Amino acid sequence: MTLQNPLPTLLLSAMCLAALPVAAADAPAPATTPAPAAAAPSAPPSPAAVRNMISNCYSCHGTDGRSPPGVIPSLAGKNADQTLLMLKEFKSGQRAATVMTRQAKGYTDAELEAMANYIGTNLK
Amino acid sequence: MSKITRRDFLKIAGAASAAGVLGYASTARAAEGGKGSARVVVIGGGFGGATCAKYLRRLDPGVAVTLVEPSTKFITCPFSNLVLGGLRTMDSITHGFDALKKKHGVNVMHDTVTAIDAAGKKVTLKSGKTLSYDRLVVSPGIDFKFDTIEGYSEKAAEIMPHAWKAGPQTVLLQSKLKAMKDGGVVVIAAPANPFRCPPGPYERAGMIAHYLKEHKPKSKVLILDAKDAFSKQGLFLDGWKKVYGDMIEWVPGAKGGVVMAVDTKKMVVDTTLDKHKAAVVNLIPPQTAGKIALASGLADDKGWCPVDPRTFESKMQPGVHVIGDSSIAGALPKSAFAASSEAKMCAAAIVALFKGETPAESSLVNTCYSLIAPKYGISVAGVYKVTEKGITEVPGAGGVSPKDAPDSFRENEAKYTVGWYQSITADIWG
Repeated sequence: MTLQNPLPTLLLSAMCLAALPVAAADAPAPATTPAPAAAAPSAPPSPAAVRNMISNCYSCHGTDGRSPPGVIPSLAGKNADQTLLMLKEFKSGQRAATVMTRQAKGYTDAELEAMANYIGTNLK
Repeated sequence: MSKITRRDFLKIAGAASAAGVLGYASTARAAEGGKGSARVVVIGGGFGGATCAKYLRRLDPGVAVTLVEPSTKFITCPFSNLVLGGLRTMDSITHGFDALKKKHGVNVMHDTVTAIDAAGKKVTLKSGKTLSYDRLVVSPGIDFKFDTIEGYSEKAAEIMPHAWKAGPQTVLLQSKLKAMKDGGVVVIAAPANPFRCPPGPYERAGMIAHYLKEHKPKSKVLILDAKDAFSKQGLFLDGWKKVYGDMIEWVPGAKGGVVMAVDTKKMVVDTTLDKHKAAVVNLIPPQTAGKIALASGLADDKGWCPVDPRTFESKMQPGVHVIGDSSIAGALPKSAFAASSEAKMCAAAIVALFKGETPAESSLVNTCYSLIAPKYGISVAGVYKVTEKGITEVPGAGGVSPKDAPDSFRENEAKYTVGWYQSITADIWG
């Protein structure tokens, strides 16, 4: 659970994505595209839906992602790109964890991206 | 993933709140007319109620929130098993309401709601006061069906404690463990589903065994279970064997685990097959939604409260939301984490409804840690969405800790157990 040494994980992640063409279908639509009436499961969630998702993280990572001193890392102050990388690696199982590997599988790539952006933008 | 479309969602949303729309008019107008005029009353200051009160205020400081909770301190059921194991003090699992009052502007009243008037949108308190609300959140936890086991009663619980509401009952069970002689049998009677905290009785078995192993090593823990299977079963059975050898025995319902009667004078527990003489009996009775939920017509004939899965608004009484252990929340277990997650979704939905908006898509999460020993933790996790079938688990996510994990994994989960407790209690009462 550390952001140190991002280079090898970056490379691994790129290899992983390349090896899984299905992932491309999960890629989020550009933010400027209006959501279609019948939204596909991988469509980006609304800002209020992202806030709902993120609020669950606070039960372990602290209110607004500020964890009390201890073993569970804070989310506040984390960079969006690195967070997204970690979340995707938790989801693929490439990055070892206790519960985060099980949690990350509960979200589409678009949802993980929206959550990572929320963390990078709103949790300072 | 769900096949539900956004259009379907709006349809469901419309249908679900159609009855409420007329009712909202005054609230929405009140909220538009002047900030601070929308009023929410929350019943219960536990994991559900306190979270909901705090998150309502965080999401919209214009909403006036009154939390009604009889106790001036809240003692958590999570980690009360660790008190029995000698790992924690009662003080360390006790939380006050100062932050809710001072930091978050919640009006906390230490009183008891005796009646809900859903039509008149007001509640009556034991003190005689009445509180009017625009929306009511009911989070009263559980109550016990004492009379389902012959010889058991609220009075008998002073001899055979349930300790399933943390507080004096926890202290009582601990004092009985401390008073028992080495070589005795501690019986834990676990109820059938559904009940509060599905892994709780089994974590308790490990924590009591931890205490006994240190202080009374010839003693035994006997779990008499009304069920034939339980939460994190494989992990618990492996862990018990590894840490405590044969100290803990589990008897499933089909093999004589169903407790039919107790004799508090002789300290005997009767099951369908055997009579067990015990030194200490921890009888966890079958449960229902909290008393006020039952008394207010919020529960179904099984004693739990049906709700709209998106807003947690009662299907029985409009304008009343039920969260936490009392509610029927689909695939979500009756856990502290789930109650808090439900409370956050409920708070967001209420704020949206006050603004005349459709509540955003919900996302619910559960993570339940259990300690088998101080350095041996296990967990179950789940991510949930609202689909046409209600609250359902996202397939492929969640699940229990791996079966054959190294000791370091169990030790890390034990550390995260403690980290989780620190975080969630600060997220709720901090």
